[in-house]
Amino acid sequence: MNPMEDKLRWLEKAGDADQEAPQELHGLLAEFETPEALLEACTKVRDAGYKKWDALTPFPVHGIDEAMGIRMTILPWLSLGAGLTGLMIAFALQIFTNGIDYKFLISGKPFISVPANIPVAFELTVLLAAFTTFFGMMILNFLPELFHPLFRAKRFPRMTADRFGIYIESKDPLFNRQQAELMFSRLGASALEPVLSPTKRAPLPGVIHGVGLTLTLVALIPVALAVKSRFSKSDQPRIHIIQDMDFQEKYKTQTAHPLLYQGAASMQPVAGTIRRGDLREDGHLYRGMAGDEFARGFPMALTQEMLVRGKQRFSIYCAVCHGATGYGDGLVAQRAEALAEGTWVPPLSLHEAVVLDQAEGQIFNTITHGIRTMKPYGSQIDVQDRWAIVAYVRALQRSQRATLTDVPPDVRAQLSQ
Amino acid sequence: MQHAITAPLKVEQVNLPGSTLGISTKAMLIGLVTIGAGFLLDLMAGPKGLYHFAHAYLLGYFFCLTIALGALIFVCLQRLTKAGWSVVVRRLAEIVAGTMPALAILAIPVLVFMHQLYPWTHEELVANDAILLGKSAYLNTPFFLVRVAIYFAVWIFISRSMLSLSVRQDDSGDLALTHKAERLSAPAIILFALTITFAGFDLLMSLDPHWFSTIYGVYVFAGSMIGFLSVAILGVKFLQSRGVLRDVVTVEHFHDLGKLLFGFTMFWGYIAFSQFLLIWYANIPEETIWYEHRMSHGWGWVSLALLFGHFVLPWCGLLSRQVKRAEKGLVFWAAWQLVMHLVDMYWLVMPALNLAHGQEGGPGYAPAVHSGFPLHVLDALCVLGFVALFVGLILRSMRGVSLVPLKDPRLGEARAFHNF
Amino acid sequence: MATITAGAATLDNTGDDPRVRAPLIVGNNDYTTITDRVCAVVEDPKVRKAWLIAFLTAVSLTGMLFALVGYLIVTGVGVWGNQIPVAWGWPIVNFVFWVGIGHAGTLISAILYLFRQNWRTSINRFAEAMTIFAVVCAGLFPGIHVGRAWLAYWLFPIPNQMLMWPQFRSPLLWDVFAVGTYASVSTVFWYMGMIPDLATIRDRAKHPVRRFVYGLLAVGWRGSARHWHRYERAYLLMAALATPLVLSVHTIVSFDFAVSQLPGWHTTIFPPYFVAGAIFSGFAMVVTLAIPARAYFGMKDIITMRHLENMNKIILATGMMVGYAYAMEFFIAWYGGNEFEQFAFINRATGPYAWAYWIMVSCNVISPQLFWFKKLRTSIPVMFVLAIFVNIGMWFERFVITISTLNRDFLPSSWGYFRPTLVDICMLIGSFGLFFTLFLLFLRFLPMIAMAEVKSILPRPAAHPGNDHSSSSHTSPSHSELH
Repeated sequence: MNPMEDKLRWLEKAGDADQEAPQELHGLLAEFETPEALLEACTKVRDAGYKKWDALTPFPVHGIDEAMGIRMTILPWLSLGAGLTGLMIAFALQIFTNGIDYKFLISGKPFISVPANIPVAFELTVLLAAFTTFFGMMILNFLPELFHPLFRAKRFPRMTADRFGIYIESKDPLFNRQQAELMFSRLGASALEPVLSPTKRAPLPGVIHGVGLTLTLVALIPVALAVKSRFSKSDQPRIHIIQDMDFQEKYKTQTAHPLLYQGAASMQPVAGTIRRGDLREDGHLYRGMAGDEFARGFPMALTQEMLVRGKQRFSIYCAVCHGATGYGDGLVAQRAEALAEGTWVPPLSLHEAVVLDQAEGQIFNTITHGIRTMKPYGSQIDVQDRWAIVAYVRALQRSQRATLTDVPPDVRAQLSQ
Repeated sequence: MQHAITAPLKVEQVNLPGSTLGISTKAMLIGLVTIGAGFLLDLMAGPKGLYHFAHAYLLGYFFCLTIALGALIFVCLQRLTKAGWSVVVRRLAEIVAGTMPALAILAIPVLVFMHQLYPWTHEELVANDAILLGKSAYLNTPFFLVRVAIYFAVWIFISRSMLSLSVRQDDSGDLALTHKAERLSAPAIILFALTITFAGFDLLMSLDPHWFSTIYGVYVFAGSMIGFLSVAILGVKFLQSRGVLRDVVTVEHFHDLGKLLFGFTMFWGYIAFSQFLLIWYANIPEETIWYEHRMSHGWGWVSLALLFGHFVLPWCGLLSRQVKRAEKGLVFWAAWQLVMHLVDMYWLVMPALNLAHGQEGGPGYAPAVHSGFPLHVLDALCVLGFVALFVGLILRSMRGVSLVPLKDPRLGEARAFHNF
Repeated sequence: MATITAGAATLDNTGDDPRVRAPLIVGNNDYTTITDRVCAVVEDPKVRKAWLIAFLTAVSLTGMLFALVGYLIVTGVGVWGNQIPVAWGWPIVNFVFWVGIGHAGTLISAILYLFRQNWRTSINRFAEAMTIFAVVCAGLFPGIHVGRAWLAYWLFPIPNQMLMWPQFRSPLLWDVFAVGTYASVSTVFWYMGMIPDLATIRDRAKHPVRRFVYGLLAVGWRGSARHWHRYERAYLLMAALATPLVLSVHTIVSFDFAVSQLPGWHTTIFPPYFVAGAIFSGFAMVVTLAIPARAYFGMKDIITMRHLENMNKIILATGMMVGYAYAMEFFIAWYGGNEFEQFAFINRATGPYAWAYWIMVSCNVISPQLFWFKKLRTSIPVMFVLAIFVNIGMWFERFVITISTLNRDFLPSSWGYFRPTLVDICMLIGSFGLFFTLFLLFLRFLPMIAMAEVKSILPRPAAHPGNDHSSSSHTSPSHSELH
């Protein structure tokens, strides 16, 4: 034995303590040379009525399940259950994340796209079923089981290589050493070995406890840190392990620069530069305001073309609710009345006194920003068209309360007929 | 490690009794009369009726053809892999595939009704359609006829060679015949792959000549395998009810056939889903139109029936080992899958009827005219007629032929076969 | 599987007498010799020179790979030749290539198991190991291709500070799940298969450290028949689960390409075509590795000529399937009547990358045709060269699909010619280094042949007659320990 191995004696010593402890009989191991002899022996042991016994083979021997009377495991059912669970989880996860919690449209697909969810659903089904199969097999077999009295039997090592064994535990109610030895001899066992186990297992060496405790404590440190930072506040910027371009080597506004004009990092705009929004200085035209009040009158001259344009735009955007004549009887309003769902606020008739008294600027403002349930139209209708609509609304209002004096004198005669 | 069973087989285990053979002529007659009645019925329905008959005939015909093709590839695959277990059911497959010459004759009405089936046969339509004009080097009547002739020549050659090599061995027991069949199987499979693909393109895909899908041939193959495996399970059960193959084909072989049926059910689902997902996802109108026809105007229900009936339910049903080994369970699912295979064929063929109607009269390629769901008594007549005719043909081919390859060198191994 | 009858002493088991199944293990092997031979590789106290040279070479290439990965992460993906419109360059080609290689292992252990192909037992262990190492190489490339690799956790549905979720309708995310599931399930499958063999090594080990390490790995396996029962059931279930899984992985990789609308990528045959290609390249890699391994470790009677011949047949069959898919793509591109699709395919065969296309066709479709001849498919030099050709051809297949489609954009103004950088080339070489490092370690420290499975297909020796009454004379030496 070389010195290296000498130093590793402590590994062996863990076993020595067990060796020196008082022993008791754990069971009887019989060795067989061929699978055929084993199968025959298994049938006999089964028929003799033993319960706590097992066969040891280096590979799965065909037909041993029947010979030993092993019942079918429930493992397939566990896998099936796990697979179905995986399927449910996958669909629930995908529907919740992309269909409910964080909706976003991608390549025109519905938020809940079942065909697109199938690949992940399939993978999770297999993942859960496969892991359950493996760990289920381990748990049902009570593995890992790093110590077993058999591991100290002299005959045992070859049973994972080229020999076959039957092991009867002494706990079996039928167990009687002489009888069992006799039975195995009759069955053609090539060797017999009683297997001992210490009455009391030696405690684990202190060093293992120490290492285990230390490792556990060390493993808890990151968790503790995470918990601490979750419940504490700090005004320090977070630690940037990776910069992600958050801190760039560049000059910001209001900082000095040694080379540039007047030593300022950001240059002054050239003369004549217009501020953002400066082009919309005209409050009347763009906002319908004169100072803090709604402007009266139009910011431009009224023309026939403007009225025609206003009528056309009105028919497109307004008439569906307000009606072609502005009485609030558009098709949408009629339909909503018919449905009578109770949530509908009918559009105002444009011939009500409220509207008649409004400044042109206010009507413009209403079109731009909407009012109550009426949506804003500023983004759809440009400024000139909005004024054209206002002009047409005024024309509509006037048409409904016209007097004879409004009719041009040369056609008055026709009316009076 | 099983030891071969070499006990000799009794005559009643391998030869079909005369009483059953007698059915064959009756069945064939009934089949022909039923299809003929369908034809007369459609003549009364006016010019549109002929369209419907043509499609219904193609449906019934292709349904039987896929089963025979499935049998053919099954035989070739078993030969290629030198399989042991399947020897006891291989003769049945050889006989089903052996009906190929009769199927070639039955293809003639399809060619006669080409004008009613395939819009690309309308000359003025092609002249006004850039896409069809581009395909006219391939989709034209003479070349089509040549291709169909080639397909049948190949299939007849392979199926008859396989049958004859196998039957000849029944007398001589010559091992060279086994080698010959195995050597033939590899090139046969290549020829088969090409012919079934292009036959699928020509006979089915070109019903809608604008549409195309590279996976179509694989789809037809997957359906054919389901069709044949179902027929094999039902067929062996039927033969066993007549005394043949008893104690030769055991629960172990049924278990294996069931596993294959399960596997191909999954394969079909995989291929169908792949085709659907890629077309659905890319959402290109020239491709989605094919699914649009099959997902609207009542066809959506047929599509759903296929998804659940041809894949989800039989998959769940056949998953269990107990079901595959249970007599009734396996027969139920085999019958179910056979019916669903018919629905699959219906789903492939019949939506084209509306398209074909649309081409009547107009010079341009018209979109399909949806007249709803075209279920008609003609469909039933053609399908039932073909089923009767095909059953008759198969029974007739069993005359004087042993239903087990008596001197196959692997017969003993097959009879002793056990699943793990 | 019939019993082995004749010719057990000769090394040639490629005969095809239909009356008997040829023996799968030759050379008078029994349970003892199988155990001794396989364990001897692991137990050899000396480090053999050839292995060491190969290992050191592989390790230095791995070092180069990781140095380049570091350089890439610090600098950015600009160190590769990827440039718009070719945004997917060599990294994706390498990814698909390695994932494809990683298909043979699970295929051999799962699908061939379900098809009762007993010859799989001699090669499944190291094919599975190859699978896992290939998937490790594959996983590396998309991981670093995301650019900011430290944010790769965004790929997983973890509740995060941005209150956002991954995009489950994207095939790239399906890939994460598919490759992740495949890698973990394959590893578990491989490890589970190894447990009984690890127990064998544990029980033979002399050195306490060896016994301790292999003892931990073997989780206390003692070959109990009750354990075997659940183990075998679990193995069957794993095989049944791994079979559709292995198909799904390359299917989903093919979706990465095929759900798009790019000419040359959007083709419905992509899923089965990619799967066939993956099996094709995976088997070629198994043959490439098996030939030197069986010669070097003296396993010619366990990995026999029949095993190699069978694999060559599968290479031929899958090569034909790949050829079928090439042909269908071309035919439908013409038949479909879409001029962009037609251009994409004509461009493949005659455009600037025609050289790559024809390398692909000659390596994948033409050269495997030699395997029609029994003499050639049972000749070691021929199959070694052809298997390497297939590996080259399959790399070029992914190259052709990725580069030749992307490089002809819809905007002719952005057309160019893709050139890999030195980093691209060295990373591909380095990935082979990583693969071989892991593989050589595996050969040296883990049982390269599934001993328990090989033993289960050996012919069973007959029960010893006359043993019945003689065992009273067997006085076990441990009787004395009772005192």
